[in-house]
Amino acid sequence: MSYDYLFKYIIIGDTGVGKSCLLLQFTDKRFQPVHDLTIGVEFGARMVTIDSRPIKLQIWDTAGQESFRSITRSYYRGAAGALLVYDITRRETFNHLASWLEDARQHANPNMSIMLIGNKSDLAHRRAVSKEEGEQFAKENGLLFLEASARTAQNVEEAFIKTAAKILQNIQEGVFDVSNESSGIKVGYGRPQGPSGARDGAVAQRGNCCG
Amino acid sequence: MDLVSGYKGVVGLVFGNENSGSNEDSYVERLLDRISNGKLAEDRRSAMIELQAIVAESHGAQLAFGAMGFPVMLAVLKEERDDVEMVRGALEALVGALTPIEHAKGPKNEVQPALMNTDLLSREADSISLLLSLLSEEDFYVRYYTLQLLTALLTNSPNRLQEAILTIPRGITRLMDMLMDREVIRNEALLLLTYLTREAEEIQKILVFEGAFEKIFSIIKEEGGSEGGVVVQDCLQLLNNLLRTNASNQILLRETMGFDPVISILKLRGSTYSFTQQKTINLLSALETINLLMMGGTEADPGKDANKLTNKATLVQKKVLDHLLLLGVESQWAPVAVRCAALQCIGDLIAGQPKNLDILATKVLGEEPQTEPALNSILRILLRTSSMQEFIAADYVFKSFCEKNSDGQTMLASTLIPQPHLMTHAPLEEDVNMSFGSMLLHGLTLSENDGDLETCCRAASVLSHVLKDNVQCKERVIRIELEPPMPSLGASEPLMHRMVKYMALASSMKNKDGKSSTSGNLYVQPIILKLLVTWLADCPNAVHCFLDSRPHLTYLLELVSNSSATVCTRGLAAVLLGECVIYNKSNDNGKDAFTVVDTISQKLGLTSYFLKFDEMQKSFLFTSVKSAQPRKVLTRSTAASMADIEDVDENDSSDQKDEDHPILSAIFDVQFVNLVKKLEGDIRESIVEVYSHPKSKVSVVPAELEQRSGESDGEYIKRLKTFVEKQCSEIQDLLSRNSLLAEDLAKTGGGSNSQPEQRVSGGLDRVQVEKLRRDLQEASQRLEMLKTDKAKIESEASMYRNLAGKMESDLKSLSDAYNSLEQANLYLEKEVRALKGGGPSTIADVEAIKAAAREEAQKDSEAELNDLLVCLGQEQTRVEKLSARLLQLGEDVDTLLEGIGDDVGLPEEGEEEED
Ligand SMILES: Nc1nc2c(ncn2[C@@H]2O[C@H](COP(=O)(O)OP(=O)(O)O)[C@@H](O)[C@H]2O)c(=O)[nH]1
Ligand SMILES: [Mg+2]
Repeated sequence: MSYDYLFKYIIIGDTGVGKSCLLLQFTDKRFQPVHDLTIGVEFGARMVTIDSRPIKLQIWDTAGQESFRSITRSYYRGAAGALLVYDITRRETFNHLASWLEDARQHANPNMSIMLIGNKSDLAHRRAVSKEEGEQFAKENGLLFLEASARTAQNVEEAFIKTAAKILQNIQEGVFDVSNESSGIKVGYGRPQGPSGARDGAVAQRGNCCG
Repeated sequence: MDLVSGYKGVVGLVFGNENSGSNEDSYVERLLDRISNGKLAEDRRSAMIELQAIVAESHGAQLAFGAMGFPVMLAVLKEERDDVEMVRGALEALVGALTPIEHAKGPKNEVQPALMNTDLLSREADSISLLLSLLSEEDFYVRYYTLQLLTALLTNSPNRLQEAILTIPRGITRLMDMLMDREVIRNEALLLLTYLTREAEEIQKILVFEGAFEKIFSIIKEEGGSEGGVVVQDCLQLLNNLLRTNASNQILLRETMGFDPVISILKLRGSTYSFTQQKTINLLSALETINLLMMGGTEADPGKDANKLTNKATLVQKKVLDHLLLLGVESQWAPVAVRCAALQCIGDLIAGQPKNLDILATKVLGEEPQTEPALNSILRILLRTSSMQEFIAADYVFKSFCEKNSDGQTMLASTLIPQPHLMTHAPLEEDVNMSFGSMLLHGLTLSENDGDLETCCRAASVLSHVLKDNVQCKERVIRIELEPPMPSLGASEPLMHRMVKYMALASSMKNKDGKSSTSGNLYVQPIILKLLVTWLADCPNAVHCFLDSRPHLTYLLELVSNSSATVCTRGLAAVLLGECVIYNKSNDNGKDAFTVVDTISQKLGLTSYFLKFDEMQKSFLFTSVKSAQPRKVLTRSTAASMADIEDVDENDSSDQKDEDHPILSAIFDVQFVNLVKKLEGDIRESIVEVYSHPKSKVSVVPAELEQRSGESDGEYIKRLKTFVEKQCSEIQDLLSRNSLLAEDLAKTGGGSNSQPEQRVSGGLDRVQVEKLRRDLQEASQRLEMLKTDKAKIESEASMYRNLAGKMESDLKSLSDAYNSLEQANLYLEKEVRALKGGGPSTIADVEAIKAAAREEAQKDSEAELNDLLVCLGQEQTRVEKLSARLLQLGEDVDTLLEGIGDDVGLPEEGEEEED
């Protein structure tokens, strides 16, 4: 299970837009029509390959309800990527995007890559938000964008991988200090490590014995 | 109160005068005043130092500080960040105020001011986030005291702090960062996080999100793994908090770092012969981690089982078994607590896991040429260890190995081949080259030499696992014949008969001498009985083999009624007898089910026979059995005692209110208890069956009674005569059985017209009658009590009735007074109106006077009236309550209150009519 990089993701958005189903489709390749309400935060993981580099994705699926907001906020800062999801058949979930984004801007790492997902694209006949509107919102806010379906698996793989590709690109362009753990990125074992993120002199004295 | 002159420079006086609470109050108040309003920095600092000193020493000062100090201290922390000395001082004072004073005098149950202060501080919404922000300060002491303060808060009000920290963005991140700080801080933070994560699933997840696993394992590695100090123990405790019933975190560990870092803690390096207490605790903690991973998530989690399976498979893949075997079996120096925990883990690892079972079955230990299968080594430990705990742990491995594993059972049973005489009598030390089966047989029969049945009964326990639910194995072992103990002593005998013999021997040894009949023998008989009950279950050939020896039945009957045997022994013997009925396929006269039932009813009586079942079901062993014993959570305080366990404490059994040995609770697992319960039902049913359909020795076919063609009269008569004779003897049999049953029935003392089904459950009836009698007694006692209650309430009611009457008359006189006032008022008004002609100026005056007078009068009477109304209202509810209570007691409230109504209600009505 060796990897070049490990990226931490969070999935956010209103309740019922299909966050948990997207994660399940991505990690287990299956769809569960009756899905339990997420309580707090749930975890999933998968390996992907980008530019023939093995990359491990750790994904935290959050609960959309207001009562869990303060818990889920704890996950923002340490994430390298976020999937912000709305439901194309429910207009209000699209209208709430701005407040989600504000939350993210306030608590997350400014370099976090955000992918906007218009989910349930299989329900095109009940569409309440046009694809153009989604694209427009993404463009205005500097987000990646895809319409996807956790049910048919359409674009699910792409959504996770494109986000990872974007993060990888940021790394290569030197946007991140990958040695800083709070960036949500970890260099895999066995790869040359950058200077350790020592906070003060005491740490540096202990030496690099934790390789 | 003159603060200044009273206390200027008289600190000594205050300390000498500690009992005076008010003095301390004012002293603390003055110090706080100097801190918040002082102009000179020097003076403020010295006030802070004085405050620290007194708060750390005196109850009263802590109380006073709690009442007034928090706002002042929090203000310093908030607004004077640059003054490191003041911030340190304020933190130190707070730590002091939250730390219980050890040598505190006064009554024990008095409120601890430190606890009260903790509660007060944790209620301040902003204080927690203020404290967290202090963790980023440069100054070492500021961070250190802040952590101490947070730990104090967490210890005393964990839930409030857990909730508060969750609502603070990046609160947990800040605490996590402390793990990268210098050693003293890091260790303090470890403890803090351990408290913080206790039973707080969301916090556990956030910690893991923040990379807690990496940090924990890197500290453990840095500190030397299991060889490390108490810090390693703290790390493992935190790790276990993060994994305990948290499937999400278990998956994350598995999917990212993997289980290698956990397993490598179990790896013994360096001095494998030295096990300090700290190392023992560290290893026990790491074994607990393995155990937590094998238990999966919470009970409610639907993915629990899948997660459990994957964890077990991954652990085995990572060769955890090798390390467990090294700790539990091979290491000669590992303390018994570690060995037991490792064996327990092995049992859990293989239970219900075909793949893992195979791996254990084929595992070979030792180095060429001295190798042997791991199962043989575990068996040797089981037979030889001097520790009961270790026997139980090793037995658990075999139980788990045999459970639903008929291939494994067959493999073990196939090696059960009796050895020639010499071998059987070889001392145990020479068993290295023995097969598993030979070693087991050797253990079963070892007692021949030294008369000690301990080894025999341990081996019997293993054999019962091998035979459980496996007919092939049962049949195979039935055929095992043993040579007589001495060649001169008769012929060989089946293994089963030998086991019965040992069981009999166990009781006789117990009676004979006190030395060899230590409490140990209390479990020899039950364990051999468990073997036989397991063996005979669903196996007619085993029943046949058992009954092959006539004395067996007699012995069992004696055991069932032997009053010196334990409840459990008698009950199991009764079950075994029952198995001789329900699984009996024999047609031999004298060995068939009918004979056994007849013998039971003759020798014991069915009622007293079934009573043995009831008694056993009610015994501690059967009522306390649980599917899995949750293990104690290792904490700093419990760890030391865990590491010290050497053996089952014999005194522990005293609180079980039973003569059964504690070892039995371990051996009598759920499966066996359920088997016994099921057997009991079958036995009851089957015995009823035997009686309701007596086997007829003579078949009555009407055609047979006719004279056959060609049969002479003489032959016909002869044939009929023998037929009648046979019938006659059968009637005789039935009559005698009938009289036995009647006798049994008479003994139970039950009703004469009871139904047949009730007859067999006579024991139950008797128990029920006893229970009913007790209930009746209790009920009549309760009735007595209720009667006195009722009398009391009645007298109260009459008192209140009088009171109500008095109130009523008071009210009446008051309303009379009011009426006359009203009258006077009216009169005054009239007068005023008459005076109106006197001019506008006076009118106003008079009007004002009049209004004032009226108001005055009204106010007075109204106030009084109000009071009365309140009183009356109270009385009303009181009367209502009492009425309800009386009603409950069956009292007719209406008639009771009739008198009151007459006194109170009627005059009033009369008055109103008059008005
Ligand atoms: N038709 C359709 N239904 C979906 C899709 N994704 C999720 N759902 C359904 O939407 C509901 C909410 O999904 P869930 O994943 O629990 O939402 P969450 O609260 O955002 O985690 C469930 O009933 C899903 O079956 C999708 O792509 N297409
Ligand atoms: Mg969900």
